[in-house]
Amino acid sequence: MTEATMMIENKTGIHARPASIFVQTATKFKSKIQVKAKNKTVDAKSILMIMSMGLVKGTEMTICADGPDEAEAVKTLQELVASKFGEE
Amino acid sequence: MPESLRGKGVIAGIAMGKVMIVGQNLDGYLKNYKPEDQAKEAGKIEEALQAVAEMLQGNVRTLQEKNMPEQAAIMEAHRMMAQDPMLSGSMMEKVGELGSAPEAVLAAAGESAAMFEQMEDAYFRERAVDIRDVGKRIAKYILGVKEPAMGDGAVILCGYEIEPSVIANIPTEKIAGVLLGAGSTTCHAVIIAKARAIPTVVGIGDDIQKIADRDDVIIDGERGDILIDPSEETRETYEEKLAKQQELKSYYAKLAPLPAVTTDGAHVTLAANIGTHMDVDTALTYGCEGVGLFRSEFVFMGRKDIPNEEDQFKAYKEAVEKCQGKLCVIRTMDIGGDKPLPYLNIPKEDNPFLGCRAVRISLHRRDLFLPQLKAILRAGVYGKVAIMVPMIINVDEFKKVREFFEEAKVELTHEGKAYSDSVQLGIMVETPAAAVMAPILAKYVDFFSIGTNDLVQYTLAVDRGNHNISYLYSHFNPAVIMLIQRTIQAGIDKGIWVGMCGEMASDPYAAVILLAMGISELSMSAPSIPKVKEKIRSVSMERAKEVLAEVMKMEDGNEIKEYLHKAL
Repeated sequence: MTEATMMIENKTGIHARPASIFVQTATKFKSKIQVKAKNKTVDAKSILMIMSMGLVKGTEMTICADGPDEAEAVKTLQELVASKFGEE
Repeated sequence: MPESLRGKGVIAGIAMGKVMIVGQNLDGYLKNYKPEDQAKEAGKIEEALQAVAEMLQGNVRTLQEKNMPEQAAIMEAHRMMAQDPMLSGSMMEKVGELGSAPEAVLAAAGESAAMFEQMEDAYFRERAVDIRDVGKRIAKYILGVKEPAMGDGAVILCGYEIEPSVIANIPTEKIAGVLLGAGSTTCHAVIIAKARAIPTVVGIGDDIQKIADRDDVIIDGERGDILIDPSEETRETYEEKLAKQQELKSYYAKLAPLPAVTTDGAHVTLAANIGTHMDVDTALTYGCEGVGLFRSEFVFMGRKDIPNEEDQFKAYKEAVEKCQGKLCVIRTMDIGGDKPLPYLNIPKEDNPFLGCRAVRISLHRRDLFLPQLKAILRAGVYGKVAIMVPMIINVDEFKKVREFFEEAKVELTHEGKAYSDSVQLGIMVETPAAAVMAPILAKYVDFFSIGTNDLVQYTLAVDRGNHNISYLYSHFNPAVIMLIQRTIQAGIDKGIWVGMCGEMASDPYAAVILLAMGISELSMSAPSIPKVKEKIRSVSMERAKEVLAEVMKMEDGNEIKEYLHKAL
């Protein structure tokens, strides 16, 4: 299992468009991927679960993946969050 | 077998095409559905999820190709929901409990939607509607309720009531006509159809059940006729009418880029009345020069709570941007007992037209008024904006409005939000009191816009919805004409502009005398713009003034109307 912890820094958080991009990216990997934040753990491939987390700017979250492409999955998603989804 | 029905024609024009039933109720289908064993029901859900996701993907591609990124993004979100592991997991659990695949789908979607409905953020609450929508689509697939793909030709939408989002989300060129069982002429769906000039018939009642999905129909939006499965002969007659309609349309399209000037060079601005920012696109094709009335109540309707400043800001900003630098006049909330909003808790009134409505509510409710003013001031950054306040009857009300307006600016400054300092603040002159007081009110306001629908009704004490006395309702009644002239003159004397945003503005004959009185803007539903422009371009200011002088000598509204139709 691979995991990484990071802070959400884009203005709108993982909300609307960023949530779609995040889930679309997660869906490309074979590994089981989860997001942990605010004492909850959800499936990173579920747009509904991700949106229901209320991941606003400043939230700390952990991405963990388990499967054949786990390292690449965590790295890609971490970079996506760090890129602030092209926002400010 | 040919059959004909009759409703009330509300938006003129002929439309021919196949019926698409929308807003349909699935109860009947669910009752007749015979579930099989659990494994088979679960299999049906899997198959439906796959098929619906593929169909939505197709819609996304079509919308992207047509350069409609907003609608494409909505469909993309729906596709992701259809493939959501949490939602499908919940459906599989429910199928064990309920035994029926479509019931399980609807229950699971309903449960997820309820979770979103409880969230604080308005954005998430709105997603609840999307989740239910997706659930319904999947259930329909399992039940075999056909949904015409959007790739088909234009359709005639038909339903007892049609949700505004249904019409709003279909591109204009895909809707040939609208048929409604309900009788309302002011519902959101009709107003959207009006702004897009889609032939519409309402008030069909329960007869609407005689119209089936995919039926061939012809509708006449002027007379209210609906012909189901018409004979070849009938079809030919209507094809000729349709051809004439197209001819007129292309003639009007040629008029669109031309200015509304008289033969001797006097100009009047022809603007559009709109309900949503999407109406601006259609209005521009008719050659509107800006928006003279954005009915902000549509931002408030069809929801469960008060839209916050941010939501309102987005709605206004889009409309302002689409005006491309031309003036966009936004009317503050015009809501009252006749069209109540559940979340405002307005008590039932015996006489809502003389009750707590429009600005009277705004002045009592800071929580409504201040965010609206702030949202409009912020939208002002993106173009040229004016705020118009409805139902003013005295100077004191307007002074209070001005105080709110200044307070909104102070708050925005403190919050560090950008806003425009050049937003105009004016009033709608739609009560006899405001028209009589126009010379005084003109000292305080930046502009007047005459709202004739209410001005006629209040001046003549005639309810225009009452068929027994509709013969008394006329904007040519001399009492009304005199109040209008007084208002325009008061504006000219104080150097402020005066416009009109009621039905009268769309009457080409009235337009000529208004021009002679010195009006500088006429705002109307966009499809009326070409015929008004045509009339204005055919007369001189000199002639218009002669005609006005004659009109002002007349003592009777019918006489005025007859004279104008003969003289012009």
